[in-house]
Amino acid sequence: MSWIKEDELNLLEKISANILKAGPMPKHVAFIMDGNRRFARKKHMERQEGHMQGFNKLAETLRWCKHLNIQEVTVYAFSIENFKRTKDEVDGLMELAKQKFLKLLDERENLEKHGVCVRVLGDLEMLPLDLQELIAKAVITTKSHNKCFLNVCFAYTSRYEITNAVREMAWGVEKGLIKASDVSEALLSECLYSNNSPNPDLLIRTSGEVRLSDFLLWQTSHSCLVFQSVLWPEYSFWNLCEAVLQYQLNYKSIQKARDLHQEHQALLQLEADRACVAEHLQHHGNGKPADAQRRQEALLHYTTCREERIQDFLEALKHKRDSYFSDLCSKDVLA
Amino acid sequence: MALLYGLLWRLLLILVHINRALVSWVRVRLRSWKGRLWERAMAALLLPLALAGFPDHQKKLNHNPDANANAVTRNRAASRRSRWLSDGRSLEKLPVHVGLLVAEEEPSYTDIANLVVWCMAVGISYVSVYDNHGIFRKNNSRMLEEVVRQQQDLLGVDGSKYNVEFLSNSCDKHQHYVVSCRPTVKVLSPEDGKQSIVQAAQQLCRAVENKERSSKDISVSMLDVLLRESKNFPDPELVVKFGPVDSTLGFLPWHIRLTEFISIPSHRNVSYEDLLDALQQYGACQQRLGQ
Repeated sequence: MSWIKEDELNLLEKISANILKAGPMPKHVAFIMDGNRRFARKKHMERQEGHMQGFNKLAETLRWCKHLNIQEVTVYAFSIENFKRTKDEVDGLMELAKQKFLKLLDERENLEKHGVCVRVLGDLEMLPLDLQELIAKAVITTKSHNKCFLNVCFAYTSRYEITNAVREMAWGVEKGLIKASDVSEALLSECLYSNNSPNPDLLIRTSGEVRLSDFLLWQTSHSCLVFQSVLWPEYSFWNLCEAVLQYQLNYKSIQKARDLHQEHQALLQLEADRACVAEHLQHHGNGKPADAQRRQEALLHYTTCREERIQDFLEALKHKRDSYFSDLCSKDVLA
Repeated sequence: MALLYGLLWRLLLILVHINRALVSWVRVRLRSWKGRLWERAMAALLLPLALAGFPDHQKKLNHNPDANANAVTRNRAASRRSRWLSDGRSLEKLPVHVGLLVAEEEPSYTDIANLVVWCMAVGISYVSVYDNHGIFRKNNSRMLEEVVRQQQDLLGVDGSKYNVEFLSNSCDKHQHYVVSCRPTVKVLSPEDGKQSIVQAAQQLCRAVENKERSSKDISVSMLDVLLRESKNFPDPELVVKFGPVDSTLGFLPWHIRLTEFISIPSHRNVSYEDLLDALQQYGACQQRLGQ
């Protein structure tokens, strides 16, 4: 079945959507699509069928998000922990993923029409090579689309993502692109797999579980968390509206907390810069304490240099990541 | 048209707020009604006993009111302790580490201290307390005093068995491993969250800068060990969140990957039953760990 559903909302749904849109709307929603296997058990179908239904529900949900002006959606499709499942189930899920990405490539014109950009986040080297190649093709094909964004987390856990970000920063230090003192919360965020997206405003988990299961732990620290008991394949437009309403009720207090955190971060960065400048002046000064103006100039200069260093490093990182995908694509072409 | 939808949206929010207020009012009424019903039932049952006998015993009691008051208090505390301990044992599973996330303005130290003491009495080994303004952290000593005071009140003089160990953050490096069964309390703030991860990252990058290690060495377990070094706590299995905000507000992002989140509307005047409810809910959660 297709990635794109063209259905329109019925009148009641349209009215409800318009009412919700009068309030603050989340721009980025993340879904933990839990409950496929329980759904399959409930309906006496095969597990694989449950996962298929889950995928269909994803396509439907993307359509609803489009109607609600939710531009970006991130979904937890396959966790690194899921590799622990039986070989049959894992192989089945890999096969399903291959089919879906092939279908995506089939529908590339439709995707272009709707402007859908598909990104896949995770430790992709853990996946079978043919799936990696398909993913690379899908990502490169839809790269330039910018109307809406779908991030699929595959072979992903948040801890691996954070560790990878730290490794990338360490790589930057090794290459002499940045210094260890440049490491900050903002820089770490830029090194995550999700660096092209703003943090999710709303995280929804279905099937009644009330945990995050290693999903976007860093990015959702100040997001609205909504736990719903409906099983994912049974998710409805009203469930989504309910979650959005929860977001709206929490909007002011979460915004306040976010702003507080932002301010605190900025302060920490300023202090860190000041400390570096003070150390620098001490080492390179002529023994006399620098006056306030000299300190201020040095601080400005240091901050500018630091920001330039970081920009260069992030460019190099982007290039490294893009090469990973384009190498996979060209390998396939040559094969 | 947009104006109409705007008005309808505001109406919707008002309806939701009314609904919530109604629900919480009913909860409170139901609890106090149940409570009074219980008191009345007990009074009705015990009244005949009180009227019937023991006039001599009464006189003896009146001679030594203080001593007996103490005895009564001690007995009450002892019976409470044993009840709480048995409650803990009767749960399907008990978390080893519970986080108390206060997402409300102006926290009440007494209520938090109560919660900490109840957690310990029920058999939970590690309790952490968090608010996203860092208020608890700033008033660390006041929190300590309050917990000790509530310990006395609720657990009686024998509460010394539950000697609480407070982990302060200033001398973390010299903190010995807490392997004892003594309950440990930790006061957390947003700095213990993303900022600790950043500090660990800086440490690793400095090691790389000094050519002490390579970037390829950096693994999940290495980062995990670094983040645990200054906390010495197992990951929280359960976080009880107080307040209307549906967010973790920066609470220990790294450590909450498998944590269950259970909400209680407010920490003000929270009761032991509220906590027990949450623990029972936790007991019913099933973790499949990816499988």
